[in-house]
Parts: sequence; structure tokens; C-alpha cells
Amino acid sequence: MIRIAKKEKQKTPSQLGIGDRIEIIKSKRGFSLIFPLSMLLLLVTLFVILTGGDFFTLNVIKGIFNQSLIVGTMATAVSFIYTTGNVDISVGNVMGLSAVFGALSYRATGSMVLVIIVTLLCGVLFMMCNCALGIVFHIKSAMVAIVAMSVYNAFTEVLVGPDPIQVDYRLCKQLEGNFRYIAFLLYFGTCLLLYHKTAIGRKLRFIGGNALCANQTGINSAKSKITAYLFAGIGVGLAGVLQLLRTGNVAQSVGTGMGVDVMLATVLGGMSIFGGAKSNVYAGFIGAVTVTTLNKGFLMVGVSSTLIQGVRAIIFLLLVFMNSERQATLPSRQQF
Amino acid sequence: MAHNGEILVEVKDLCKNFGVTVALNQVSMVIRRGEVRGLIGENGSGKSTITSIIAGIQQATSGEMFYQGKAWKPQTSLAAVHAGIGIIVQEMGTIPSLTVAENIFLGDYDRFRVGPVINRRKMMAEARQALEDIGVNDIDPAAITGRYNMEQRKLIEIAKTMVNHPEIFVVDETTTALSEKGREILYRLMHKAAAENKAVVFISHDLDEIMKHSDTLTILRDGNIIDHMVKEDFEPGSIKQKMIGREITGQYYRDDMDGYDDEVLLRAEHITTMRELLCFDLELHKGEILGIGGLSECGMHAVGRALYGLEEVVSGQVVLTQKQVKITTPEVAFKYGMGYVSKNRDTESLELNASIGANISSTGYDKNRGLGIFISNRKERRYEQLQVDSLAIKCMNTFQPVRTLSGGNKQKVVFGKWLAADADILILDCPTRGVDIGVKAYMYQLIYEMKKQGKSIILISEELPELCGMSDRLLIMRNGKVTGEFMRTQGFSHNDLINYMIVGGENQ
Repeated sequence: MIRIAKKEKQKTPSQLGIGDRIEIIKSKRGFSLIFPLSMLLLLVTLFVILTGGDFFTLNVIKGIFNQSLIVGTMATAVSFIYTTGNVDISVGNVMGLSAVFGALSYRATGSMVLVIIVTLLCGVLFMMCNCALGIVFHIKSAMVAIVAMSVYNAFTEVLVGPDPIQVDYRLCKQLEGNFRYIAFLLYFGTCLLLYHKTAIGRKLRFIGGNALCANQTGINSAKSKITAYLFAGIGVGLAGVLQLLRTGNVAQSVGTGMGVDVMLATVLGGMSIFGGAKSNVYAGFIGAVTVTTLNKGFLMVGVSSTLIQGVRAIIFLLLVFMNSERQATLPSRQQF
Repeated sequence: MAHNGEILVEVKDLCKNFGVTVALNQVSMVIRRGEVRGLIGENGSGKSTITSIIAGIQQATSGEMFYQGKAWKPQTSLAAVHAGIGIIVQEMGTIPSLTVAENIFLGDYDRFRVGPVINRRKMMAEARQALEDIGVNDIDPAAITGRYNMEQRKLIEIAKTMVNHPEIFVVDETTTALSEKGREILYRLMHKAAAENKAVVFISHDLDEIMKHSDTLTILRDGNIIDHMVKEDFEPGSIKQKMIGREITGQYYRDDMDGYDDEVLLRAEHITTMRELLCFDLELHKGEILGIGGLSECGMHAVGRALYGLEEVVSGQVVLTQKQVKITTPEVAFKYGMGYVSKNRDTESLELNASIGANISSTGYDKNRGLGIFISNRKERRYEQLQVDSLAIKCMNTFQPVRTLSGGNKQKVVFGKWLAADADILILDCPTRGVDIGVKAYMYQLIYEMKKQGKSIILISEELPELCGMSDRLLIMRNGKVTGEFMRTQGFSHNDLINYMIVGGENQ
């Protein structure tokens, strides 16, 4: 028997060009966290300079955080689904319908505890319905989501009617204070731990990257997807609770269009909607904070809200371009 | 009029870097009309890189190229095709959802355009002619390509390349996907092209094949040209030495007669699958290397898949005898100490965009736990690094994406993940397909070491020398059934084995 090992032919550090150095940096594990955070920091610094320091006050930062909370919670939730290479844009409608059931339970019982429980359970139940349709009938999650959006929206409109369902506003405001921070941090922290420190996130990433390979490595794709939708359901339900506490009522339009906002925040946070190896659970929240920072910053600088939309779109494209994976090796031979 | 021996392609000081890795280092060579030029070297030596640059698939970092006497810098592969450069690549180059005819004339539908519509009848007729021209009559040009097997799809690809009558015909490690019949077709086309004063570039890891069919040979190592040889100077020992960079001593395959335990670990009892297997029986013993061979359609690959729970077993059962566990899914197989290396490495055995470490540690989520369900980073790093070091995987670090590695190193990652898992039973389906001689020898060494540790291995292979060299026991299959069983202790006769593969031993 023979043993043959060759020495790697590589450039010395002095031979490395700027392109090589960027490649090395991008292959580092922390890049997916550091890059979007650096972008956010850059934005904050820019607005601090442009507003002469007014941007960096506790009130402004607290306002940004509060505004980011609902989209950020949902974006954290859908990270589990996006990681597997699936997209679900019905989360806005799921959140809305869950909040409707929460409000209805308040109207029936007057109990805020029940509101929280019902909203959370509804979030899980509706997301699990989406999951079941995908797994049992092998329908693409994006298709399921499109149908689910219409169904949940119809239910919301029928249940709410022309007038919003009211929940005791004073009670909501009392609860909103610290409860939302604790609830969010608890959820976000749990997600971070389970996704990045247990086999759950690793398995989901593997399924997103190569489902066939994952299957051959003993990973049960159906079980992992159920887990992903379960965590997503809890997050979406929690977002429903936060929404209810924030407004004190639910109207027919609750949650409409939020699925797309969540997707934008996720991408802006540096995550690929195609899932796989470079997915993470924190990108969505960073993205949500980035969007809110942009909006708030531009408003404080005096840019009109119409113009903000355009500037946001350009920055969004720029970030997606900078954070996208470009092939540095031979193109896939399957292309030819 | 082009003359035999006239320079068709010339490359000068060609360099290509992939990030920090140097794939080609100032390579210069000429390809002449009328010759079959063999390119040989280890995985990652730069063979495919040169041809893919000539064929416009990628651009060189620096250097010059001349084609038919003029400066040549194709921006796309289509530009190269139009200029008369045809390439057949190692992996699949057809689109499964298109018809055979659509694949053959991909990107060139305008030639069948009549006003706004495509004349499909004409396209089908010309596709049929293109297939007949290469000697293939059993492929329907109107059928969807995906319904054909790997070899037939490769033949479609060859027809697609030849329909443009290329001046230079590049065959990049294509023969591994072909049976003897398909190879004969390809060899005939190569020699015909050379006889017609065109040039052929032939890349292969099979030393016998490349020596037999090439007129000249260029040997590459680590992106450098080591030597150019003419046919009279071909000598296997010296070629191998130049490829590897040192003399290869010792034996390629195992030379022992160690045998194996009587204890049966895995048993397939009358298993029948939806397509290929009918009442198939098999027993795998502790410490045994069980070889399974046959012609490409004999069902041997289905055996591996069925044993690992990847293919539905409609009757009969696969049982791990010691643990009394029935294997129904890969999840169960993995849980009870089995591993499977697919013959489709890039599509089934690896997550190409993930890092080397993530691929290796994918088998160790349970083993690398620290506190409760939480994975210990320290344990996981150690789990990955151990395999990278012991298998000498050439990489910057464990965070490097697997897609950036050469074929041989990718296969080492696949082996690494199963070695780390410490699987008791390993099913290897064509484990040395597309890897060079150095990595091949290393794989054989690993397989033998696993056997010595008491692991059981099923080695499914299309290469008879490999099966004979490594197996304790060898099953030959035909039409989904075992036609012959041979023991290492009694010696393997190639003639007998081939006879059992082709006619099921009826002439014995």
C-alpha cells in the first residue's frame, strides 16, 4: 500500500491580491454576522453625523427597536423555513389571523392571558397547516403560501367585519411595556441557541443546501421541516401578540403585505432566500432594524417619505449585490 | 487546406488562479492537427482548467492563446463552439427536461426557424441523423432526455458536440460514464477526427486507455507541465512517477488473504425493488470486503441503495442481524451504524456550498454534543480537523467551501465524514470514480484499514481490477440477480468474471 500526500500549491501572503483577500474574509465563519452588522453601524454613524448627534439618543434608538420588533420577530421565525430553501410569504396573514382569534378570545372571556395563549397556538396551528400541505401533498411551500394567504385573509375579513375588534387599550399598553422586550428576547435567545448550538439549525442548513445528501446522511427532512415550521409558528404567533398589544385592536387589513416586508428584512440582513450553508437566525432581525434605521434616519435628515422608498430600494439592491455569492471556481458542469 | 501536424492551438504562459490557489502556472503547449493529445495528471493538476479556458468556459488570469494562427480569447463557451471547439465534460452536460433533439441543438434553434416557428420535424430528422452519425440508433430524438440513463445521456452529449463538426474535439474524463460499447463509439470518433486532420484532446485517469488512444501525451502536476511525450516513449512507470512526483513503490491493491469472520452483520432476504431487483439475497460478514460487479445496467447500484434504505423494498427485508433492526430508511441505517457513499459524489454525497468542516461534522451531531442537546464547538472542530489532517485534504482551513476542492479532495471529504462517523458497515458505490491514481491508492489503503479494524464494506464498482484487487468475496450480477459468487482465496479469473457479467456463466 502506498501513501501519497502532496504539498498544497498556494500563494504566499505577499502574493495575495485584493480579490483573494476578500475571498478569504468572505469564507470566514463570522462574516455573515459581521457584514450586515457593519452595514448597520455604518448607517447609524452616517445618520449621527448628518443629524449632528440627534440620531444617537435613547428615545430614537428605543423607537427604532420598538418599530423593528414585530417584523424582526417574524423574520427570526421565518429564518427556520428559509434555511431549508423554502419560502413562506403567508406569515403576515398568519400573524393577522392569529391576532384576530386572540382578540375574539378577549371579547369572549376578557382574559389577556388567554389572548396570549390563543394567539400563540393559532400561529403554530396555521403554520403547521402550511407545513402539512407541503409535506403530505408534496406541494412547493411557495405555492402553499400563496393559497394560504388568500384563505387566511378571507377568514380575517369575515371574522373582523367592517369595524376593528377592540381589546382593552389601557391593558395593552400596561402589558406592552416590559412584556414585549422579555417575550422577544426570550424567543430570540431560544432561537439563537437552538439554531446555532444544536443539531436543529445544522440539519436545516444541510437540507437547504442539498436535500439528497442530507437524506443520505440520515437526516429526516420531514421531521426537520416540521421543527422549522413549529418554531416559525411560535414566532409568528408571538408577533401577533405584539401586534395586538401595540394597537389594542385588529382591523381587516392586519398583517397584509407583511410577508414581503419580512422577506426584505431577511435578505437585507444578509440571508439568502435559497437557504443552505450560509443561513442564520439573526439576519432577519438585523435586517428589520436596518430598514427601520433607514426610514427613521432619512426622516430626521428631512428626506421625503417618497424619496426614502427609492433610496431604500437602491440600498437594498446594493446590499444584496455585495452579499451575494459569486462563483470563484469553475461554473457548475451541469450548466453545459 | 489544413495540413497534418499544423499547429491548431497554442497556449503561452497561461496562468489561472482560483482565489489563493494556483490552478495553472505559466503553462505553454501546442496542439497539432491530426493528433490525439492525451492530458494526464492527478486531480487538481490543471487538465480540465486548460481545456475549459480554450473552450471559453472560463477565462485565464494571464497568458496568451492562439487558435488557427490568430489570437484567441473566447468570452463564452458558445463563441468557442461557433469557432469549432467542441468539449464533452465529465459530468452531465444535458438538460433532463428537454427532448433529445432540443439538447442536441441547444442554443442553435435558429437554424430550424421558419418565420416565427421552429420546424420541429426537421429538427427531429437532423437529431436522428446526428445520433446515427456517431453510431447510436436506440435513442429517440423526440423523447425527454431525463428518461435515458447516464450513459445514453452522455452519448446524446457526444452527438451534440459532433453535430458542429469541431476542429478541436476535447474529451474530458468522459469514459468513466460509458460502458465498453459507449467507449468504443467515443474512441472511433476520436480517431476519425484525428484522421480527418482535426485535433483531439483526451483527458482520462485511466493510464492504459490514455496510452492506447493518444499519439502524444502531456503530463501535468500542480498546474505545471512536467513533460510532453510521444507514443514511442510511453512507459507506465515513468508516466506515473511524473504525475505523482515520486516513484510509486509498494502495491496498489491489497495482497493478503486475511479472510473475514463468520458472523453475519447485514442480510438482505429476498428483496424486490420497484425496478431492478427481484428476490435478491445477500449476506455481509464482519470484517469482509464484499465486491459487487457487473455491467452498468445489472442492478448493482440498486443493491447499494436498497441496502441503505434509499430505494423502496416492496417485498423481502434488509436486516441488521445483530441488532435485529429492519432497514427501511437512510435515517434508520445511519442510526444503526451504516454509511453510504454515492457514485454521484457532487449531487448526493456532498453539500458543495458548505464548508469542509460542515460536511464532515454532518455525521457527528450526536457525537459532538457537550451539555445536553448542545453541540460543543471544541469537539466539533476536533472531529473535523482530525479527518482533514489524517486524510491530508488539501485546503486552507476547514471553513473552505467544498466546491473549491478538486475531485480527489472532495472524495476525501466524503470518506472523512464516514470515517469520522466510525460506521460499522460502509456501502461504497464507485468510490474511486473520477479520482486520480494517487488518491485511488489512498482510498484502497483506507478501505483495507477499515477491514482490519473489523468494519464491513460493500464495494460496488464498474472496474474489474479494483473489485479483484480489494474484495474478499465477489458477486457478479446480471439483470438484477447474482449470476456468480467468487472467493478471493480461490483466486479471481477475469475471463470467468466477464463471462458471468455478459451471459451469466452459461458457457461455463
